[in-house]
Amino acid sequence: MAFRRALDLLPKGRLWVSHFQKSPNVIGPNVTLLDWTTRTTRTTRTTRTTRALHIAAGPLAGARLLSVDELFAKRSLQEHLEKLETEYSERLRAASSEDDEPRAKRANVALLAPLVHSIRELDSKQREKAETEALLRDEDPALRELAELEYEGCLRDIQDLRQKILDLLLPEEEDDLSDLVLEVTAGVGGQEAMLFTDEVFDMYQGYARHHGWSFDILEHVASDIGQRIQSYKRMKFEAGVHRVQRVPRTEKQGRMHTSTMTVAVLPQPTEISLTINSKDLRIETKRASGAGGQHVNTTDSAVRIVHLPTGVVAECQQERSQIKNKEKAMKALRAKLYSRKLEEVTSRRYNQRKVQIGTKGRSEKIRTYNLSQDRITDHRIGLTLHDTRSFLLGEELLDQMNSSLQEFSDQEALEELLGETQRDGT
Amino acid sequence: MWRLSLSAGYRGFGCRIVGPKGLWGSRVVHTCSAPAIPAGRITALQAVDLWKNHFTERGVMEPDHSSLYIMAYLLGAKTIESLEQEKLSEFLSPEKTEQMWKLCSRRLSRMPVQYVIEEWDFRDLTLKMRPPVFIPRPETEELVELMLNDLEMKPGTGIGADSQHTCLEVGCGSGAISLSLLKSLPQVRFVIVTNRFLATIFFCRLGLQDRLQIHCLDVMKDAETVLSLCRHVSTLVSNPPYLFSEDMTTLEPEIFLFEDHAALDGGKDGLKVIKQILTLAPQILSNHGRVYLEVDPRHPPLIQRWVEVNVEEMRYVETRHDITGRSVLKSLSVFMSSTMASFNQFVII
Repeated sequence: MAFRRALDLLPKGRLWVSHFQKSPNVIGPNVTLLDWTTRTTRTTRTTRTTRALHIAAGPLAGARLLSVDELFAKRSLQEHLEKLETEYSERLRAASSEDDEPRAKRANVALLAPLVHSIRELDSKQREKAETEALLRDEDPALRELAELEYEGCLRDIQDLRQKILDLLLPEEEDDLSDLVLEVTAGVGGQEAMLFTDEVFDMYQGYARHHGWSFDILEHVASDIGQRIQSYKRMKFEAGVHRVQRVPRTEKQGRMHTSTMTVAVLPQPTEISLTINSKDLRIETKRASGAGGQHVNTTDSAVRIVHLPTGVVAECQQERSQIKNKEKAMKALRAKLYSRKLEEVTSRRYNQRKVQIGTKGRSEKIRTYNLSQDRITDHRIGLTLHDTRSFLLGEELLDQMNSSLQEFSDQEALEELLGETQRDGT
Repeated sequence: MWRLSLSAGYRGFGCRIVGPKGLWGSRVVHTCSAPAIPAGRITALQAVDLWKNHFTERGVMEPDHSSLYIMAYLLGAKTIESLEQEKLSEFLSPEKTEQMWKLCSRRLSRMPVQYVIEEWDFRDLTLKMRPPVFIPRPETEELVELMLNDLEMKPGTGIGADSQHTCLEVGCGSGAISLSLLKSLPQVRFVIVTNRFLATIFFCRLGLQDRLQIHCLDVMKDAETVLSLCRHVSTLVSNPPYLFSEDMTTLEPEIFLFEDHAALDGGKDGLKVIKQILTLAPQILSNHGRVYLEVDPRHPPLIQRWVEVNVEEMRYVETRHDITGRSVLKSLSVFMSSTMASFNQFVII
């Protein structure tokens, strides 16, 4: 029996800063923690791409997070930045010429402007740093002191600018801004699987509370729906099959049981990105089968909506009010339909990413919770954390893991971007 | 007016329901002895199961929903789905167990769940439910939705609008329609006409004096007074009794034994009160006023014909269906351009 619940989560804040503090609980292969400030919503950006985030199997063997300095040492990055600067100059010339469509040209310029501006600032800071460096060896101690302070200031500014550039380089993902739907389903393992599903569900509720998001449980047991604004960005990494290994309380011989559960994360579409024709829907309620209105008094207010063209179904019986159940079922339906649409779009794009983020139906296990050994391992990045009880609270530990995943994902995106540049150049 | 007094009911766990005039025949449960409270402690889920089985044995409708809703209410939630699994597997305290038994015994006598827990949800409100006040139906939620869509589109009623609009409700029940609209449309003023004196007290206590007026009047008998008090109304709404008299005998005990028959019985063709409302409407409504009614699925063509013949100032507009596609809700808007250059338009839904 499939046992599912879902979360509907709404964050209150819009700025997410992912800071990674090294704690004794973190153990991983050569993980250099990269302190990237995550992106705030950049509403000026219009180059939106949907990153295809599916993929292939296997952990990120041997790969590691590079530091900002290491990234900037890469030839490919330097070339890419040069290319952008050239492009910017060209667009600037084109925009100022007496050409048709000047507005479009100006828009193109505007897009690149902040990035190029930062690149130039970085260049000038580098020059400043070189100049100050010379003064560090000066005979005058007072001058040396001043130079040291200046130098440190330069280093900090350079670091900040580099981070800013990296930030601006990666296009924003459309779905990072959307509401989301979280669906957990028990997999293999019977009772144990259901219990585990419940625990993970509670963990995500804790995670939502930890981030100050508000959430609404839309459904339980039957279909499910949940929704959340702008937390898709974080939660997308949770999608996949989670495996738990433990000795159940009822187990007499102390054997280890393995059960699984699946998390699906569905972005909630806006009105524009997905329109549903009401003629395509069949709305089912208990009353449909007989008399209604004043003839009948019922407390069964469950609503089931079938999208006839696709056969997708959503139900809700979370509320006592039928119309509220209908609204929630509609939200669920929209999320499911949108997720299908997304799948179609993203599965078309070939992608080398290892930090896989799928919406549904992935059979690869992304994470194992070994409760006897008190550890949680994410297989995509090979990260292991300890203290399962704290982890399942959905607070700092889950945050750490999630941030790690985000950083790896960002790095892969960057590599992909630079990889493309290399291909273009040859 | 026929009223059912239920005060005799629930001493201990055995009870006898005897109805007036002995009309009810074999459909009615005459004795309802409840199962004994178990000696040891039981969990919420066990209690739910036990009662579900008992309800099933006794032919109580929706046995699973009944026991789940009652348990959820006792545990402080609206639905069982919103409670954590652990809570349901915990042992109930002796007090809670006793309460569960007390409430479920009431349900055993076919009292509707809404009366047992004394509350129910309507859209985003939770309303007090006490017999014999009519329990709002899901269809009526759709009626309010329809009205909100229409009224929000109409200039002057939406949020931020300058002018005030007056809505008249005939018959208020638990206040479902009026309170929903009052909540969602801050610019709207309400006038309620009800023949139930206790309703006036209930509404007076809500502290909405600046937006709500109640008149204790019977729309059938006090038509003149109604007309003198209610003028220039932009919207008239009602969920009038619309069952055919012959339908009354086939009602489930939940409705027949506990809800006010006056809120259900619409006469031979179910149109008694509806016709009266429509007769009075042209004088109550201002220009371009609308009438919204919830009616029986068989009514729309009957009403359309009747209105065309009997009420000149009104014009049929449309029938709108509830979400299952049946026309329990129907809209009619009838108007006539009169030589007096003022025409009333109204919609019956």
